[in-house]
Amino acid sequence: MKRSPAEEELIQSLGPSKFSAQGFLGHDGRPIDEIISADQRKLDRIGVSINTLVDGLKAVYRQARQAYGAEIQITPGVFTTFYESRGRVPSPFKTNGVFEKGEALVREKESGQHIIITQLGIALIERHHFFQGLGSRYRIDPEVAVRLLGLASFKEDSP
Amino acid sequence: MLYAIFISVGFLAACGGFLAAVLVVAEKKILNYGPCNLDINAGERELTVDGGSPLLSALAENSIFIPSACGGRGSCAYCKLKVLEGAGFVGPVEEPHLTTEELETGVRLSCQVKIRNDLKIEIPKELFAVKHFRAKLIEKEMLTYDITGLRIELIEPQTIDFVAGQYIQLESEEYKGREAVMRAYSISSVPSDNRNIELMIRKVPEGICTTWVFDYLQKGKELYFSGPYGEFHLSETDAPIIFIAGGSGMAPIWSIIQKMVEEGIQRNSVYFFGALTQKDLFYADELNKIADSSEWFKFVPALSREPEDSDWQGERGLITDVVKRYFPDTSAYEGYLCGSPGMIDACVSVLTEGGMPEEKIYYDKFA
Repeated sequence: MKRSPAEEELIQSLGPSKFSAQGFLGHDGRPIDEIISADQRKLDRIGVSINTLVDGLKAVYRQARQAYGAEIQITPGVFTTFYESRGRVPSPFKTNGVFEKGEALVREKESGQHIIITQLGIALIERHHFFQGLGSRYRIDPEVAVRLLGLASFKEDSP
Repeated sequence: MLYAIFISVGFLAACGGFLAAVLVVAEKKILNYGPCNLDINAGERELTVDGGSPLLSALAENSIFIPSACGGRGSCAYCKLKVLEGAGFVGPVEEPHLTTEELETGVRLSCQVKIRNDLKIEIPKELFAVKHFRAKLIEKEMLTYDITGLRIELIEPQTIDFVAGQYIQLESEEYKGREAVMRAYSISSVPSDNRNIELMIRKVPEGICTTWVFDYLQKGKELYFSGPYGEFHLSETDAPIIFIAGGSGMAPIWSIIQKMVEEGIQRNSVYFFGALTQKDLFYADELNKIADSSEWFKFVPALSREPEDSDWQGERGLITDVVKRYFPDTSAYEGYLCGSPGMIDACVSVLTEGGMPEEKIYYDKFA
């Protein structure tokens, strides 16, 4: 199906740029709404809300940032390290402003599974439910994030 | 049949060409804003530029270089300027980058302001000193496992006039499909060495510019940068000083300390260098040499993750805790900080809790 001009512009914004070497889509060829829906379904299956996940990501980012590059443990076997970087990075959604650079690498030592949390990445999830495409360095897989951050115990009560 | 097809295609092509010509003429006639006057800083400087171009590029064409990292796409918000008259409405690309106060005082993204008539603008005076430089890398040295030191010789212009504490915008080149970008790095050399500049650059994982610097930029290669920029510099008071910086944040502090040594500025100073372990330390010998030969300067490296059984005899702990131990009362001091926003925020808290007025804390936040 042919994309609208607005969709084309968004796809271009989500691609590689002066601020993001790989862009936000990785090698994912799916339409953006399909990426968003698929990740929402994952969260629904796990029973954790977007708000709970976003709060968890913000808390870990804050903890890592305050450690000035030292590795800290956040859950058993899971550690985070903050990497600072000078400058700001704009959101690909043009009306969302600019964000502090810097990233918190969250890694489970035994399995090697990891996610990389950035302020922009959190905003994309919070405002657009967009976890980024498969293959994007900053994609936060919902299932991995819930497990690494120990959020599975925060399952929402069903209505 | 074929003849009919050729005639149809030819007719369509001719229509397209005619419409294109009409658009070009229309743009020249209707969208020709003619020469426009830029009044800079209430008559301090006046320029006449061709209307129609963005303010950012019109200024650059007249050798006034406003910082920009996104190539004029309205993404980075580095190019803010006050436009007092003539700017037109604020578009949807600009609005998210401007606070209410900025909007009220006429601050705009200069890359998004199209010159359609005369403008009155304000440009910080220090930007008039900004030039675009062609230079050559003459030395590249690993200072730690993830920080490299560069020494760059100027070619054109041959000299640079900067204040210790300022930064430049380095231009990377395209490589492996990655666009050329501009990134800011503080100058770590002393201003009197005005035919060269030195930088300290930390490798950012997957960083576009730092990957170019570490993996592609070799000695002898020509490169480009603009500068100097920034308002971080030593004050002209006699107040004693607390410097706090770690990693590549040392760059502007090292420039300032070298200037103090060279010019005989003997204000009592302590430099707290925060690092994780001994392998993150660099220039310790140089700083210890200054401390050993000066009564006014003290160097205090503090390691927060050094193994307990190591041979390290210096301070241990988070830099904020060490500063608090040395200076429970900071009220008489000025603070000079450089580093990540998180580190700056924590240090500002410690210094203000000790009584230092916030207006006496100067910082180059990496943001």
